[in-house]
Amino acid sequence: MEYLIGIQGKDFVIVAADNVAASSIIQMKQDQDKMFKLSDKILLLCVGEAGDTVQFAEYIQKNIQLYKMRNGYELSPTAAANFTRKNLADYLRSRTPYHVNLLLAGYDAVDGPGLYFMDYLSALAKAPFAAHGYGAYLTLSIMDRYYRPDLTRDEAVELLRKCIEELNKRLIINLPSFTVRLIDKDGIHDLEKLVPVGAK
Amino acid sequence: MFATQIHGDNGKMKEYHYTGPVEHKFSPYSFNGGTVLAVAGEDFAIVASDTRLSEGYSIHSRDSPKCYKLTDTTVIGCSGFHGDCLTLTKIIDARLKMYKHSNNKNMTSGAIAAMLSTILYGRRFFPYYVYNIIGGLDEEGRGAVYSFDPVGSYQRDTYKAGGSASAMLQPLLDNQIGFKNMEGVQQLPLTQEKAVQLVKDVFISAAERDVYTGDALRICLITKEGIKEETVPLRKD
Amino acid sequence: MRWRICFDVNGSGQFFRHSVSKMALANVLQSESVDFSNYGRQRHGFARGLYEAELGLESVGVDNLSFAVRTACSDGDGPERKIEFLHGTTTLAFKFQHGVIVAVDSRATAGSYIASQTVKKVIEINPYLLGTMAGGAADCSFWERLLARQCRVYELRNKERISVAAASKLLANMVYQYKGMGLSMGTMVCGWDKTGPGLYYVDSEGNRVCGDLFAVGSGSMYAYGVVDSGLKQQSLTVEEACELGRRAIYQATYRDAYSGGQVNLYHVHSDGWTRVSQSDVLMLHQQYQAEKA
Repeated sequence: MEYLIGIQGKDFVIVAADNVAASSIIQMKQDQDKMFKLSDKILLLCVGEAGDTVQFAEYIQKNIQLYKMRNGYELSPTAAANFTRKNLADYLRSRTPYHVNLLLAGYDAVDGPGLYFMDYLSALAKAPFAAHGYGAYLTLSIMDRYYRPDLTRDEAVELLRKCIEELNKRLIINLPSFTVRLIDKDGIHDLEKLVPVGAK
Repeated sequence: MFATQIHGDNGKMKEYHYTGPVEHKFSPYSFNGGTVLAVAGEDFAIVASDTRLSEGYSIHSRDSPKCYKLTDTTVIGCSGFHGDCLTLTKIIDARLKMYKHSNNKNMTSGAIAAMLSTILYGRRFFPYYVYNIIGGLDEEGRGAVYSFDPVGSYQRDTYKAGGSASAMLQPLLDNQIGFKNMEGVQQLPLTQEKAVQLVKDVFISAAERDVYTGDALRICLITKEGIKEETVPLRKD
Repeated sequence: MRWRICFDVNGSGQFFRHSVSKMALANVLQSESVDFSNYGRQRHGFARGLYEAELGLESVGVDNLSFAVRTACSDGDGPERKIEFLHGTTTLAFKFQHGVIVAVDSRATAGSYIASQTVKKVIEINPYLLGTMAGGAADCSFWERLLARQCRVYELRNKERISVAAASKLLANMVYQYKGMGLSMGTMVCGWDKTGPGLYYVDSEGNRVCGDLFAVGSGSMYAYGVVDSGLKQQSLTVEEACELGRRAIYQATYRDAYSGGQVNLYHVHSDGWTRVSQSDVLMLHQQYQAEKA
C-alpha cells in the first residue's frame, strides 16, 4: 500500500512519499523516510519488496557518490536515471532481481528539472508527473485533470494535497503522513509533512 | 523412494480415471520411526531408545538400536531418517577422532552438543532428517541432556523424548520427573533405580500405542564408572 | 587504504552486489558469510525444486503473516512426515526514558506439539547487545551467534564497541544474502551505544527498521495492543516499564496458543543489559487474577 508521487514545475520538482514501514498487516514504523539523496540535486524514491528497496537504493546511492569522487563532478539526473535503469535491468535477468519501483527527481543546471518514473521491470519514462502504488490509480487522473506545466510551487503543493486527500478518502489502507521535498536550482528542500485533513 | 503425485483433488489418486498430468518426484528422505529418550540425574545420565526400524507399514528390523556411544561420558540418541542417522553419527565420530588427535583429550558433552549444532545447521538448506538427543556427564560430573531440532537449534534439559512417540513420553516425564503443575509435592532428587524403572515404564506404554515403537528397549546408563548397557524386551507386534 | 577494498572490489568501478550486501562494516571486517558447503548457492538448481517443497521450507509470501505458525499440511496417513522446525512466539521490546525493555515468552512449537516450554528467546550477543528470537529457532541462534563473533572482531579492530545501528545492519546484510531461500527469523537487536538506547527490527525478508516499539511473532498483535495502550503515559519508571512488558507478554500467552511458558524480562541501560526476571505464566495468571478480584 506504499505510495510515491512526483510533480514537475517549470523550475522545480516536488516529490512526496508515505512514511509507513509495514510487515504484512502491521505498521512497524510511521516515520520511515523512503527518499535517498543521490547527490546535491537528485533524490531517489523507492518502494517495493522488503529489503530490496533499501539494498538497491543504497547501492545506487553509493555508486553515484563514488562517481563524483572519481570524476570530480556529479551525474546529471538523466544520467543517474539511465544508470539506475541499466543496473535494475541487469539484475532483472539475474538470479536475484530487485523488486523495486522508483521515482527519480532532480535538477540540472542545463536541462532544468527532471522527473523519471521507473518500475521493477526497469521501464523508464520521463514524465511531468508520476506516481507509484495503488494510490497511482486514483491520483494520476487527478493530475491529468489539474496539472499545468507552468504551475507554481504553491499550486504544486496544493495538487499534491488534492491527491493525498483522495487517497485518504478512497484507499482502504490509511496512510497517516507523507514526507514532501522540493528540488530546484538551490538543491533539495524539506517541506512540511503532509497530513490528510480527512484523517484529523 | 519414488512417490507419485497427481495434481487433482487434494493430490490423491483417483483409481480408474484420468486425473491429469502426473509428476514423478524423487524424495531422498524417508521416516524410519523409533523413539529416543534421555534423562539426567545428579551424577548419571540415561539415554534409551527402542530397537525397531520401520518404514511405512513394514518393519525392516527388530534389532536396530538408536543409541550411539560417542565418548566414555557421552551417548547420542538419533531417530528420524535412518540413512541420515548413520551419516551423521559417522561424521560425529570422525570429528571426535580428529579432536582427540589434535587436542589429546576427549570432547565434553557440552562441546559435542555445540559441534552437533553447527554440523546440523551446515545442512540448513538440505537438512539431516534426524532428531538428536545427547545424554552425558558435564565437566562437573553432573548428568546433562541436550536436545536438538533437525537444523541445529539446541538447549540443555533434564529430560527429553524425541522421535515418533515423543509426544507420548514427554507428558509422562513432565509428570513423573518434572512434577509440572503440581502443588505441595516435594521434589526428591531422581535416583538411578527410579530413573531406569521410569524409562522402562514409559517405553512399555509407548510400545502399546505407537506403531513405530517396539521390539526392544536399549538403555545406556552413563556414570563416572562408564557406560552400562541393558536391553529390555518390548511388544513385537 | 582499507577503504579501497570497499570502494572498488574488482576494479570495474562499481560495487558488486555481493560486496554491497556485506559492504561497509562487514567488508572492513573482512568477514565472510558462513560456508554452507555446496548447498547455499544452487538455489535454482536441482536442490531447490526438490527439497523446499518436500520440507515445507517455502519462503513466506509478502501477504502472509511473517512469523505466524506454519503447520505442515498433513497428508493424513502418509508415512513420510514433514520435517517440522520450531515456530510460534511472542517477543517484545520498547524504548523508554531509562533504556530498553525486552520481554519474551519461552514456548517452542513444532506444528501443534509444544516442543519446549523453556526456550531462551533472548540471545545475549554481548554485555550490551541483546537479540530476540522469533521464527526458526536454529536460524535465530545461529545468525545471532555469528553476529556476536563479528561484533567482537569489530571491537578488537576498532578499540570501541559497535553501535546498535551497525550491529543490526551486519545481521540484516548477512541474512539478506539468503533471501528467498527459506530462512525464517524476526529479531529485535537491542542495546546501548554512544547515541543512547538502540532498537532495531531485522527480519529474514530483508527489513531493518529503527523504532521505539516492536513486537514480533504470532502473538505480537496482542502484545502491541497492551503496550500501545499502556505506553501513553509520559514517563515510565523502570519498574512500571518492566511490569508493562511482562503484562504484554502474559496477555499474549493468554490469547495466543503458540506462546506460553515463562516470561523472560531484560532491561538494557547505560551499563549494558540486566536480566530482570523470569516468571512462570501460570504464576502470573494467578497473581493477575487475584489483583482483579
